[in-house]
Amino acid sequence: MTAVQPAPPGAPPTAPPAPAPAPGTGTAPVVRRPRGGVRRPDAPPPSRRFGFVPRTVAGRVRALTGAVLVAVVALLAVVAVSVGNARDGVRVIGEDAGPQVVATGDMYFHLTNMDAQLANALLIGRAQDLGTRRDEALRRFDESRLAAGKALLRAAKLADEDIEDETARESLNALARYERLAGQALLLDERANHAAGPPPAEVIAYYRQATDLMKLDLLPKAYNLTLDNGTLVRHTYESERGAVMTGQVLVYVFGAVALALMAALQLYLFVRFRRVLNPALAVSAFLTLVLVGASAVMLNGQVDHLRTAKSDGFDSLLSLSRARAISTSANADETRFLLDPGRADTYEQVYLSKSQSVLYRPADNLDRYNEAIQRDLGAPDLDPQRERFLGFLGREAGYGALPGQPRAYRDVLQKYRAFQQSDSRVRALVRAGQTDRAIAARLGGGAGGLSSDRDFTAYDAAMQRLFRIHHEAFEKAVKDGEKGTRGWNAGVPIAGLVIIGLVLAGVRPRLAEYR
Amino acid sequence: MTEGRTGLGTRSRLRAALAAGTAALALAGCGVAEGADGSVADADSLVIGVKDNEPGLGSRGANGRYEGFDIDVARKVAEGLGVDAGNVTFKKVSSDQREDLLDEGAVDLVVASYSVTQQRKTEVTFAGPYYVAHQDILVRQSDAASVENVRDLAGKRLCRVDRSVSFTRVREERDVPVLSVPGADYADCVSKLAAGALDAVSTDDLILTGLAAKAAAAGSGPALRMVNAPISDEPYGIGLRKGDVEGCEAVNKAITGMYQDGTAAALLKKWFVPAGLEVTTTVPQFEGCD
Repeated sequence: MTAVQPAPPGAPPTAPPAPAPAPGTGTAPVVRRPRGGVRRPDAPPPSRRFGFVPRTVAGRVRALTGAVLVAVVALLAVVAVSVGNARDGVRVIGEDAGPQVVATGDMYFHLTNMDAQLANALLIGRAQDLGTRRDEALRRFDESRLAAGKALLRAAKLADEDIEDETARESLNALARYERLAGQALLLDERANHAAGPPPAEVIAYYRQATDLMKLDLLPKAYNLTLDNGTLVRHTYESERGAVMTGQVLVYVFGAVALALMAALQLYLFVRFRRVLNPALAVSAFLTLVLVGASAVMLNGQVDHLRTAKSDGFDSLLSLSRARAISTSANADETRFLLDPGRADTYEQVYLSKSQSVLYRPADNLDRYNEAIQRDLGAPDLDPQRERFLGFLGREAGYGALPGQPRAYRDVLQKYRAFQQSDSRVRALVRAGQTDRAIAARLGGGAGGLSSDRDFTAYDAAMQRLFRIHHEAFEKAVKDGEKGTRGWNAGVPIAGLVIIGLVLAGVRPRLAEYR
Repeated sequence: MTEGRTGLGTRSRLRAALAAGTAALALAGCGVAEGADGSVADADSLVIGVKDNEPGLGSRGANGRYEGFDIDVARKVAEGLGVDAGNVTFKKVSSDQREDLLDEGAVDLVVASYSVTQQRKTEVTFAGPYYVAHQDILVRQSDAASVENVRDLAGKRLCRVDRSVSFTRVREERDVPVLSVPGADYADCVSKLAAGALDAVSTDDLILTGLAAKAAAAGSGPALRMVNAPISDEPYGIGLRKGDVEGCEAVNKAITGMYQDGTAAALLKKWFVPAGLEVTTTVPQFEGCD
């Protein structure tokens, strides 16, 4: 190794082997050969504190070049890894969890609707004068059965974990058992040929088995799958977003290091070889600067796309999916409340609990809840974006910036209010002992044209309009996220090769002088 | 809270500094620290609030050890969170303390026949439910013929325990004009029922079954009878400090695991099937952690 003159302890560090111009070496701007001046270029520097600085000019040029290359490679690696992180984040949200939430949400809706239509059919009996007839309810039951099966298959296809796979399989089995029980209930019910109202006890016994299977086995699985996707997205978002932001910092750091080393190399060549500017090196430095700038802009954009896809898109899709799931099952509880007097108390309690989770208003019972809804949602100066209700629907208040959202949101709230009001009328009729009128108010066909089922359908349609607004925002953010990193996979290595090639091309003629 | 936040801040800054100083090697490990501060998901030890006066759910056995379905669930969840059994401490909580103790941080989790209600969700984050119970009614055998459902409680004396939702469910939700007789807890209510100081106790079937079985085993007092007219779904949740989403998701995962590996079915069979209750052995529909 190099002979080192140890610095005396405590002495200030000696000056580095300064590339100071040797005195008396003329002023010629371009020199072909290094001058043998006062000190030969390859002579050991007078004093050195560290042992790893090469002795010769060629060695130093090589060392600096090496350092530049390492920094450039590190920069490229950081960019490539960050692009990968950003892409993973967008992919998980856009292609895995997002569609899963839609599929499991659909599945929940159609399963619930199956059970609701079964309850309708059993409640209607032979009546022909209601807003819905038995065969119509059965037709809708079949439609929902097909749609639920389709959603189940879609969810199973998207399943990428054993647990999800297993859940899909178990759900398929449970669905088959449900259909068997439903068939038995319907058969007995048809034989009973009863008027509108609660069917005979044996029919109710089968219906209870069916609805319990739905409520205790099938629906929780679908719902928990939906929730799992929320967890997945939250984790992915936090870690990928963090990784991309760390990547941004590292891009600046390595970019700065690479540029500083390039400048040092340039300066060293200038001093040692009297080169004013090494064009190849200058271009490589410029390209590095461009790469750093472009990467920073791109990563910044990716952080934004991730945030939009998650907050404006996914989170809201998830909470609307849950709102729709819970609302649909509350609506079915209204029919069950009429169908099965033995469990009416429980059905009414869960209806209240579900309604409160959709839109929270403090109330000890359903009457007071409905009063609060009529009052608070009916206020003429209601500004739902500012009011910030609790519950799934309340969360929508934060998305007023999305085009069309404020109107769609307002509409959902008004339809929800109307549905709660008609539910309240149905229950009041039951309490007054007028079950027939209550059933007509539920299914339509009675005097006054009231149908709480129709009011629910209107509310559900409004909710789907709101859902579509978020779904579009979600898909756009995912698409933008995918577009934002397009070309970078190939671009990063190409930029790397060009920069490295230019650095080598810039240095090579100088090193050749030492051959 | 504040301490935890400061700690995280320092860590992030350290990370940023490290990230800035390290070379490509550090790439593999980069990323921002995950997880909320002070989440039970990261805990090495847990204090779990439980009941000690609900036989079958949470009570103290002959040797003074806590036992019951809630206790076993709590142990299993702690295991799922990666906490050694030796680092789990049980702490007695009563119905009126649960929210405050969680808020103060005196307990990390509450597994104490704790029904998820929308009202409570404004104060507490709920994982689960790990089981759905139903509110029912317990009366003296001699009155059983006159009480068929909740409306037959009109004009009767019903036990009321502070901050338990059961009394509200009867008087407000079902709108049944019952008379209120305070009880310290449901064990006290059942003693008062046996002594004739009140006419009915209405709360979750799981609690009533255990207390009735205990009273029957003691052999003193009149025979008691469950009416078997449920009026509600009571989703038993696991309470966490408000906002601990990370911890809530970890607890849900533990609950799902408990059902998938058959532990839940075994525990339900152990604690409730002998008392004649029908149990559900499939995983309940979760509330969601937000």
